[in-house]
Amino acid sequence: MINDKNSQKIVDIIQNWARQHSIWVLAYGTGCGAIELPPTMTSRYDAERLGVRGAATPRQADVLLITGYLTTKTLKRVIRVYEQMQDPKYVVGFGSCTINGGMYYDSYNTIKVLDKYLPVDVYINGCMPRPEAVLSGFAKLQERIAEGRAEGAKKYKENLEWYRANQKKIIPNWVMPDYNW
Amino acid sequence: MESVLYNILGAVATFLLAFVVGMIYGGLNRKITARVQNRKGPPFYQNFIDAMKLASKRSAIHHGIMQHFGPAFIMVSSVMSLMVVPVLTHNQWFPNLNFHGDLIFLLYIMVFGPLGMALGAGQTGNPNSAIGVTRGLSLMTGFEIPWVMALVALMIQYHTTSIVDLMNVQIQSGTWLMFSSPFAFIAAVMAMLGMFRYSPFDIVGAPAELASGPISENGGKYLFVMMSAGSVFAFVKLTLYVDLFMGGADNLVILLVKTFVLYLIPVLYSLTTVRYRTEHAIRWFWGWPSFFGLLAILQAVFFK
Amino acid sequence: MNPVLNIFILFLGGAILTYFAGRINKVLQSLLFLASVLVPAFLFYTQLSIGQSATFSVDGITLNWSLNYFGWLFSLIVLGLGAMAAIYAVSYMKGKQRLGTFYFNFILSIMSMTGILLSQDLISFFIFWEIMTWSSYLMTIYNGNKVQSIGIKYFVFSAIGAYAMLMAIVMVHSITGSFLIKDLINAYPTMQLGMQIWIPVLLLTGFAVKAAMMPLHVWAPGAYSNSPMAYTSVFSGALSKMGVYGMTIVFVTLINKIPQGIWFREVIAWMGGITAVIGTLWAIKQDDAKKLLAYSSVAQLGYIITGIAIGTELALLAGLFLAVMHALFKGTLFMVVGAVEKQTGTTNFTEVSGLIRKMPWTFFAALLSIIALAGIPPLGGFVGKWMLYESLITSNHYLLVIVIFFSSTAAFLYCYKFLFGFFLGQEEKEWSHVKEAPAAMVVPMVILSLLMFVLGTFPGILLSPINNGLQALGYTDSYKNLWETSVILNGWGNHVVLQPILYYIIAIFLFFVVFLTLKGYKNTRYVTTKDISSSGEIPKEDENLTFSENFYQPFFRAVEPVMRRQIDKFYKNLGEGLEALFEFMRRIYTGNGQTYAIYVIAFVVIMLLFGNYLLK
Repeated sequence: MINDKNSQKIVDIIQNWARQHSIWVLAYGTGCGAIELPPTMTSRYDAERLGVRGAATPRQADVLLITGYLTTKTLKRVIRVYEQMQDPKYVVGFGSCTINGGMYYDSYNTIKVLDKYLPVDVYINGCMPRPEAVLSGFAKLQERIAEGRAEGAKKYKENLEWYRANQKKIIPNWVMPDYNW
Repeated sequence: MESVLYNILGAVATFLLAFVVGMIYGGLNRKITARVQNRKGPPFYQNFIDAMKLASKRSAIHHGIMQHFGPAFIMVSSVMSLMVVPVLTHNQWFPNLNFHGDLIFLLYIMVFGPLGMALGAGQTGNPNSAIGVTRGLSLMTGFEIPWVMALVALMIQYHTTSIVDLMNVQIQSGTWLMFSSPFAFIAAVMAMLGMFRYSPFDIVGAPAELASGPISENGGKYLFVMMSAGSVFAFVKLTLYVDLFMGGADNLVILLVKTFVLYLIPVLYSLTTVRYRTEHAIRWFWGWPSFFGLLAILQAVFFK
Repeated sequence: MNPVLNIFILFLGGAILTYFAGRINKVLQSLLFLASVLVPAFLFYTQLSIGQSATFSVDGITLNWSLNYFGWLFSLIVLGLGAMAAIYAVSYMKGKQRLGTFYFNFILSIMSMTGILLSQDLISFFIFWEIMTWSSYLMTIYNGNKVQSIGIKYFVFSAIGAYAMLMAIVMVHSITGSFLIKDLINAYPTMQLGMQIWIPVLLLTGFAVKAAMMPLHVWAPGAYSNSPMAYTSVFSGALSKMGVYGMTIVFVTLINKIPQGIWFREVIAWMGGITAVIGTLWAIKQDDAKKLLAYSSVAQLGYIITGIAIGTELALLAGLFLAVMHALFKGTLFMVVGAVEKQTGTTNFTEVSGLIRKMPWTFFAALLSIIALAGIPPLGGFVGKWMLYESLITSNHYLLVIVIFFSSTAAFLYCYKFLFGFFLGQEEKEWSHVKEAPAAMVVPMVILSLLMFVLGTFPGILLSPINNGLQALGYTDSYKNLWETSVILNGWGNHVVLQPILYYIIAIFLFFVVFLTLKGYKNTRYVTTKDISSSGEIPKEDENLTFSENFYQPFFRAVEPVMRRQIDKFYKNLGEGLEALFEFMRRIYTGNGQTYAIYVIAFVVIMLLFGNYLLK
């Protein structure tokens, strides 16, 4: 019954609805953008009304938030955390730095384009993006989840070799467990 | 054969009721917390969405067989205590195991849950999990003392160890035990604060310190089962208190009102306090709550 | 020939043959050892019937042996556990030195315990008691290390107990003119009050030493942990139960017969409770599995003593049920420790971790025993705990029940520490070579733990011999009043029906295990314990992430004031004080006495002085 195409569609819709309204964020504070998260979560902007909530460990989290610039040193940890998260999982690039390097465009030790290393689902523009922008970013993510288009994890799995090649270019001494989902 | 089917149906229905009510209470807790903090807060059914999302996670990891057994142990503990605690006063619909176990049995089956969680957390090998477990077990030695004192006081006052009998006592006399044994009620409610593990006794999970402690390696389906077990267990605890101290409930509406009023105590208390250290929490339970427990026993011995 | 004598001859002959067989062939020796434990045990249950008796005369003193229901109950512990431990021992001791000594003492211990259970007169009781003490003493120093600190401590306390018992026997003989236990029981209610107090006190001292009751428990942790584990499972499981056996007889047939007995009962019950608490607290603190289990044995015997001292029928049922359960789970746990020790070479929680995937069967046995130890349904420990609580509440011991409950809640801490320390936690590279223990070691453990499982649902299997034993001691039949095959009742008519509970538990457990396993089975994968969420850091293969040092630090911060006082220190101070005294004496009489000899001699002197005064 489950394999039937139409009922699968209904199940998908329900599951996507649940995923859309329950977003557990692993706030891995990579850069200065992390400071925008407390106001987003607390009384003033209250992201919890959208179902957005913090998660303590990658095993429980749905969204990996890259808050701002990402140094090459941190990249390794971020990749590790992303690979420890459970499918379906989403990456939100936060601030200009994740798009093109932002003000660190010529820095020697930050990565410029996050999408080359991790499959980003939603970018939030700004430097810093204000909590309103963050909320609209989450809303965008929810939209994409509901449409079933937020499949970054699938993309990552399919293009793993390309991602790995990019990652290894940045991280010279590569000692990471295999990613074999 | 028919009675077996009837039993299974009754058990499943009770389980579903406890699951739904426990989940909604959890959601209301978040809502109340949000309102107190001047936020809008998530909808009251948010916990259902969370549970559904956890259940629909596509992949999962495990560190070994105990990670499967651990959540199952917690579920055994929750559901077994649910089976023993009478949900309604004249419980001819779903008697479950009400007449097969008593308070001492309940005490022991209730601690099976933490031990199961501890075993599941142990296999993951995460140091945070192990620290959370040691805190949880230590905390248990704290709040079990006033809780047992209160129960012993009730048992010796009414010469029974059965929950059903204690409910009948209240129906016959017309007064709730929270009025006729006030000290026992106070001690038990103070112990309940620890049982719910809300602030200031949220030392086990302690998100900012321990990365959610014992459950830190559990995601997806494992967390789903643990969350459901937690919800069922919350319902069981509240129903047990209503049965013991507030005269039970004739129908579901009264049950919900009474349990919710009781539930407000740990919820509101948690909003006014910050986390204790483990040893302070333990000593807190060995202080005033145990004193009230002692008073309860004295009352039961001398004013039978 | 009389079957009773046959059994003793087989034991004794087997012991001697086994001892010398080692010079010919190791395999032959092991086979002889097994035969000389298993064959008499087999004969015991097939040839001996209740009431079978034998006599043996030496020098005008007649030794009486006979089997009654109460002795038969304890024989289940001695011979049942003894047989299992013997099978285990053959594999455990493979490749060790001085096998002959081990086997000899093992058989002798089993024989002496059987003898104690059969003895109907005080002389043979005392002789067997001494054989038991000696054989177990030789076992505690078998390893050859810590002879001074542990062996002598055990010996001194055993000597205290033995002389106390001897005093009592002499006093009894001077009053009744007979060594028969029967005569003592008959004469006891008509004795004068002083005798009525002193005889039980002295006898109880003797038994309390073996049962490791506070404050006479200090020898136990060292002695339990220093003997070979195959023997310790008998030592803690069966040998300590001889103390319980004696205490039960003293309580039921002597103390309960006089009105002043209530004081005895209260005092001993409270001492049992305090023993339980102190044993538990110290067990939590231990980092060595052997020590942990040893202290836990002390604590568990505290429950048993409390149950027996309370003296209501339910309490006795509880105490004896717990005694058998303790033999089962503690026997198994010591075997588990032995298996871990054999496979890894250490028993320290801070060193070993993550053995669950390497030793799954050992873990299975350990898990079931720990659940039974913690008293969680549906395993057998729950039945005993339930009856103990109910008996305490129905007999108006309200504060004692709190004390006992605290102890058994705190017991979860060390229960978890045991499982976590060995089997759970990080799987370190250091232990990646470890294999499951040999089948001969695993099978006894698994059999014993399955027994616990059965007894948890059908306690009637065990409660019926206990009931028979209590009837032999003069209690009424409690079937249908306090227990049925799978129902346990308290004095107020409340009950727990165990069978449906078991079915529910199994159903719920299986449902959720199957659910967790099957749901998304293809997308669930196993990861090693190095693959944990540690803030994105990747732990290296040889990086030690195990959390085992200072495991219960917050708990100990809370209970610190209690732990500061150590009874061991008190004895140490006392011993040092005495030594100073002897030092002074030695200056007068230039001699070079061994420490223990001085202790013993001093004790004899004290006891004799004391006894003369009493007997005047």
